[in-house]
Amino acid sequence: MGEGSLLTRRRRARAAASAPAEGAPRPALLLGSVAVIATCGLLYELIAGTLASYLLGDSVTQFSTVIGVYLFSMGVGSWLSRYLGGQLLRWFIRLEILVGLVGGASAPLLFGLFAHVGSFRVLLYGLVGLLGALVGLEIPLLLRILQGRLAFKELVARVFTFDYVGSLLAAVIFPLVLVPRLGLVRTALLFGALNVVVAGVSLLSFDETKPYRRRYLGAIALALLALGAGVVGAERIQRYAEGEVFQDTVIYAQSTPYQRLVLTGNHRGELRLFLNGNLQFNSADEYRYHEALVHPAMQDRPRARQILVLGGGDGLAVRELLKYPQVQRIRLIDLDPAMTKLFKSNQLLRELNHNSLHSPKVEIHNADAYAWLRQDTTRYDVVLVDFPDPGNYSIGKLYTTAFYQTLRQRLRPGGLVVVQATSPYIARRAYWCVVHTMAASGFSPVPYHAYVPSFGEWGYVLAQAQPGTWRPDGGPLPAGLRYTTPKVIGQMRAFPPDMSEIPTDVNQLNNQALVRYFEEEWGPYGNG
Amino acid sequence: MHLPRRQFLTQASAGLASTLLAGLLGSVPGCVPARSAMRGQLRGAGAKLGHLLREPHKIPAPTHTQEVDVVIVGGGVSGLAARRELHRLAPSLRTLLLELEPEVGGNAAAGHNARTAYPWGAHYLPLPDERDHDLLAFLEEAGILTGYAPSGLPIYDETALCHDPAERLLLHGHWQPGLVPEAGVPAADRAEIARFLAEVERLRRTTGPDGRDLFRLPLDLSSANTTVRQLDQQSMADWLAAHGYRSEYLRWYLDYSYRDDFGVPAAQVSAWAGLHYFAARKGRAHNAPADAVLTWPSGNHHLADNLRRLGGPGRIWPNAVAFGLQEGADGRVEVLAYDGVTQQSTRIRTRQVVLATPWHVSKHLLPAPTAALAPLHAPWLVANLTVDGYPGGPGQPLCWDNVRYGSPALGYIDAEHQALRGFEPDEPRSLTFYWALPTDPGNPAAARRHAYASTYHDWLTLVLTELDLMHPGLAARVQAAELWVWGHGMVAPTPGYVWGPARQQARQPHLGGRVHLAHTDLSGVSVFEEAFHQGLRAARAIVQGAAAS
Ligand SMILES: Cc1cc2nc3c(=O)[nH]c(=O)nc-3n(C[C@H](O)[C@H](O)[C@H](O)COP(=O)(O)OP(=O)(O)OC[C@H]3O[C@@H](n4cnc5c(N)ncnc54)[C@H](O)[C@@H]3O)c2cc1C
Repeated sequence: MGEGSLLTRRRRARAAASAPAEGAPRPALLLGSVAVIATCGLLYELIAGTLASYLLGDSVTQFSTVIGVYLFSMGVGSWLSRYLGGQLLRWFIRLEILVGLVGGASAPLLFGLFAHVGSFRVLLYGLVGLLGALVGLEIPLLLRILQGRLAFKELVARVFTFDYVGSLLAAVIFPLVLVPRLGLVRTALLFGALNVVVAGVSLLSFDETKPYRRRYLGAIALALLALGAGVVGAERIQRYAEGEVFQDTVIYAQSTPYQRLVLTGNHRGELRLFLNGNLQFNSADEYRYHEALVHPAMQDRPRARQILVLGGGDGLAVRELLKYPQVQRIRLIDLDPAMTKLFKSNQLLRELNHNSLHSPKVEIHNADAYAWLRQDTTRYDVVLVDFPDPGNYSIGKLYTTAFYQTLRQRLRPGGLVVVQATSPYIARRAYWCVVHTMAASGFSPVPYHAYVPSFGEWGYVLAQAQPGTWRPDGGPLPAGLRYTTPKVIGQMRAFPPDMSEIPTDVNQLNNQALVRYFEEEWGPYGNG
Repeated sequence: MHLPRRQFLTQASAGLASTLLAGLLGSVPGCVPARSAMRGQLRGAGAKLGHLLREPHKIPAPTHTQEVDVVIVGGGVSGLAARRELHRLAPSLRTLLLELEPEVGGNAAAGHNARTAYPWGAHYLPLPDERDHDLLAFLEEAGILTGYAPSGLPIYDETALCHDPAERLLLHGHWQPGLVPEAGVPAADRAEIARFLAEVERLRRTTGPDGRDLFRLPLDLSSANTTVRQLDQQSMADWLAAHGYRSEYLRWYLDYSYRDDFGVPAAQVSAWAGLHYFAARKGRAHNAPADAVLTWPSGNHHLADNLRRLGGPGRIWPNAVAFGLQEGADGRVEVLAYDGVTQQSTRIRTRQVVLATPWHVSKHLLPAPTAALAPLHAPWLVANLTVDGYPGGPGQPLCWDNVRYGSPALGYIDAEHQALRGFEPDEPRSLTFYWALPTDPGNPAAARRHAYASTYHDWLTLVLTELDLMHPGLAARVQAAELWVWGHGMVAPTPGYVWGPARQQARQPHLGGRVHLAHTDLSGVSVFEEAFHQGLRAARAIVQGAAAS
C-alpha cells in the first residue's frame, strides 16, 4: 500500500512538470487546496483498492490492479489537461464538483451494485479509471493557474510539498481513523464533500468568478445535498447494526422471505456467511465442517448412488459429495431460492463450492424440507441433514422423532443419515438430545464430532436405519482431503468426559425439548 | 426477522386509515371499526334450512319414495359414530344419513382458505381414557393411535399431538406459558389455585362405593353415589363459595374453562359438571403427558371425516332436512326429507331411525315427545381472521391456544400450529377466534335473537376490538374475516340437567323402539367422547333389537 502511494506521487510529479504557465491570484489558498485534493485523491484510490479486495478477495492482486488502473488513468487525465483552455479557474471549480461526486459515490455504488451487475470488474475498473482521469487533471490545472503568480522553481516545490503532505495525511488516517470509525462508504462520501467544499471556497475567494457565482453555488449546494443523502442511505447499504455485529465488511446482504443473508469479507480474503446473524461458515475452515459432515458416511457406503441433502444451499456439502464418482444423483432441498441462486451465480462463492450447484448430477428444489419429505417417494442411500441450529420452535420441528421417522422411510435398506447437531461441548444436552431422539426414532445412531476453529467442537450424528457397524476404514477416501483420514475418522468417535453422553429427554413435536436445551445452553453465548 | 419496508409502509398507512375511519364513524372509543375493504361473510349453521322446521306448511309434499334399513338424521359426530358402528356390527344393513348442511360434521365443521384448513367449531380431543376401548379402536382405525407400548399405554401419532408450545395467557401485559394464571399472581391466589387443583386431582383418583370412578367419560359410567350426584343440584359458583374459593384469578380461570367447554360461566354450570370437567380427564399415553390434547388444522372435523370414511358405503345425503317422522304401514317408520338443492321432498320408509339431532329439532320431529328436557344452548361466534402480521407480543411466542386474561371472549387458535414445516414463512396467518356469547338462562331465546339480528359489521367490530386488546395494531392488518354464528352452540350442564329425570326419559326409544336418540344434548356435556358414545349406544340398540326379533 505504502509503495503504491509513493509511486502515485512520482507519476504525478512527472505529469505536472510539463504544464504550461498562466496567471492566478491568492496562491496560499490554492496551495491549501492542493493538500485537500491530494488527500482526497489518494483516499479514493485506497478505498477502491480495499473495496476490491473485500469484494473479490486476494488483496495483493486487487490492490495492484486497482492502483495500476488508477495511475494509468491519472496519466491520461494529465495529458487531457492540455485541451482545457480559457477560464482555468472555472474549469477547476467544475472539476472539483465532479471529482467530489464521482469519488463520493464510488464506494456506495460499488457496494450497492456488487450483487446486481453481471460483471463487477467492468464496473470497478470503469469507475477507478474515470476517477483517476479526473484526479489526474487536478494538479496540472492548478499548476497552470498558479503559474503567473510564482516563479517556476518555487511553484513546483510548493505544490509538491503540499501534495505529499496531503498524501501522508491520507495514508495515516485511512487505516487508523476512517475505516474503523466511518467505514468505507461514509469515508468516500465525506471526502467527496471535501472536494466540493474546495470548489466552493475557490468560487467565493476569487473576484473573477462573480459572473457565474450564483449558478455554481446552486450546483455546489445540490452536490453537497446529494452526498449528504448518500450518508443517510449508506446505513441502508451497509446496515449500521451489521457494521457493529460483523467484524468484517458486509459485502452482500439480503432479506428474503425466509431469512437474512449476510456475506462478509476481510482483507485476508475470508468469507463468512451469516443466516439471521448466525455464522454459517467461514471460508477459511469450512472444509473441516463439510468434510466431517460428508466423508465418514460416504466412505462407509462406497456404493452410494442416490444422495439427498437437506439444507446446505451453499453447495459446500455437495462439493464434497461430488468427489465420489459413483454418486449418480444429488438432490438438494433448500428452502430459500435466494440462497441457492447466490451460490450458483456469485463468482467468489462458486469458486468456494467448486461450481458444485451447476453439476449435472445435482438437482435443486427450493422447498420446506419437511413438506418435501412427506410427499417424496424416492429412497436414498445417504441423506445429509444440514439444517440451522434448533434455535426456535419451527426449526425445532426438524429435529423431532416425527421428522426422523419420516426421514427413515426415505432410506434404502442399509442407507444412512448424517445430521449436524450443534456443539457437544457448549450445548451438551442439546447434542445428546439429538442422538437420543434419533435412537427413539428407530435409528442406530453413532455420535461423532470434529474441531472447526470458527465453531469450536462440533457434533454430528451418523445414523443407520438398521443396526450395523460403522467402519472408519470402510472404503477409500477421495484424494486431496485436507482434514479427513481414516485415522481422524476413528478419533472423531471418542468423546472426552467433558462432552460425553448424558441422559436427556427425547425431542418430540409436543415437547420441543431440544429447543429448550439449546436456548439454555447457548443463551449465555448470546446465540440461539 | 426484519420488517420489510413495503410492509411497514402498508402497515403505517393501514393504521392511519383505521384511525381516520374511527373518526369518521364516530365509533365508541376503544372500538376498532371493521374496514369496508375487508373480505369475508357471515354464516350460520343451516339457519335457513333449519328454520323451515318451524314452518312445515312451506315444505312441498313428498313426490318420491325410498326404502332403506336405517335412516340416520343428522351428520354430527353422534350421527356419524352411529353410522360407523352400524357398519361395523351389521354391514349388511343399508343406511342413509340425512344432513341439512352441505357437509357432514355438525359442530365439528371446518373451513379452509388458500393457506390452511381451520376449525369452525370443535377443535380438539384431550387424550382419551385408556379404558375407553371403543374410542381407542376408532382412533387406531383412523391412524391417530399408532400402537401400544409394552407398558400397555397407547402411542399416538406425534403429528396429531398438540405441538409445543401449546398455550399462553396474556396476563399483566405479558404472555405467560400455560392458561392457569401464574405470572405476577399474588401468593394467596396461587395457593388457592393450587388448593383447587389438588382437590380436583383427589376427586380424579377417587372411586365411589359402587366401585366406579366418581367422575368419568362418558359421564354415564360415573359413580351413582348419591352424595356425589347431589352436587348436580347446586351451581359450581355456589360450590366454590361454600368451599372458600374467592380468588379472582381462580374464578376467572374456571369461568373461562366452563365457557370454553359449555358456553356458560361457573354460575350457570352445576357443581357436578364443573368438577367433572377437571376430574373426568384420565387420558394417558406412552408418548405424551396426561394433559396433552390431539388436534388438527381442521380441528375435530378431522375426526368427523374419519368417522364418515369408516362408515361404509351407506349413502350420505347432504342439504337434506328431515321435517317429519311418522308411523308407516307394516311396522315401518317414514322419514320425510326435503332436499334444499332440488327443492323436492322424499318419503323414506325404514325399519329404524337414529335421531342424531339437537333436542330442539328432535322435539319437532317426534310425534309425541315425552320428556320435558330443556337444554340451554348459548350462541357462539367463531371468526376466522387472515392477519398479515405475526401475533407476537412480550413473553411466550405464538402458541396453539392464545387467551387474554379477563377477556369476555375465549381467545384464538393458530390454525397453522400443527403444520409440518421447519420454517414459519412471514406470510398472512389464520387465527380462529372463539366467543361464547352471554346468555340469560331464564330467556335464552333473547340472546339468540340478538345474535341473529347482528350484522357482519357488528360482529367484526367486536372481534377486532378484542384482537386489538391482545395485539395492539394488529387489527389494522386483518385482510379477511369469515364469521360464523352458531345460534345453538352446545348444551350447558345447568344445575339438575345431567342427573335430573328429563334426560333419562328423553333417551328412551320412541315409536315402539324404532326411533333412537343420539346427541350430546342427551349427555348434557358436549364433547367428542360423549357424542361418539351417543352414536354407539343408538347403533347397538338397533343391532341388538334386530338380533332379538
Ligand atoms: C364453537 C364450538 C366449539 C366446540 N369445541 C369443542 C372441542 O374443542 N372439543 C370437543 O370435544 N367438543 C367441542 N364442541 C362440542 C361439540 O358440540 C361436540 O364435540 C360434538 O361435535 C357434538 O356432536 P353431535 O353430533 O352431538 O351434535 P351436532 O354437531 O349438533 O350434530 C347435529 C347434526 O344434525 C344436523 N341436523 C340438525 N337438524 C337436522 C335436520 N332436521 N335434518 C337433518 N340434519 C339435521 C346438524 O346440521 C348437525 O350436523 C364445540 C362446540 C361448538 C359449538
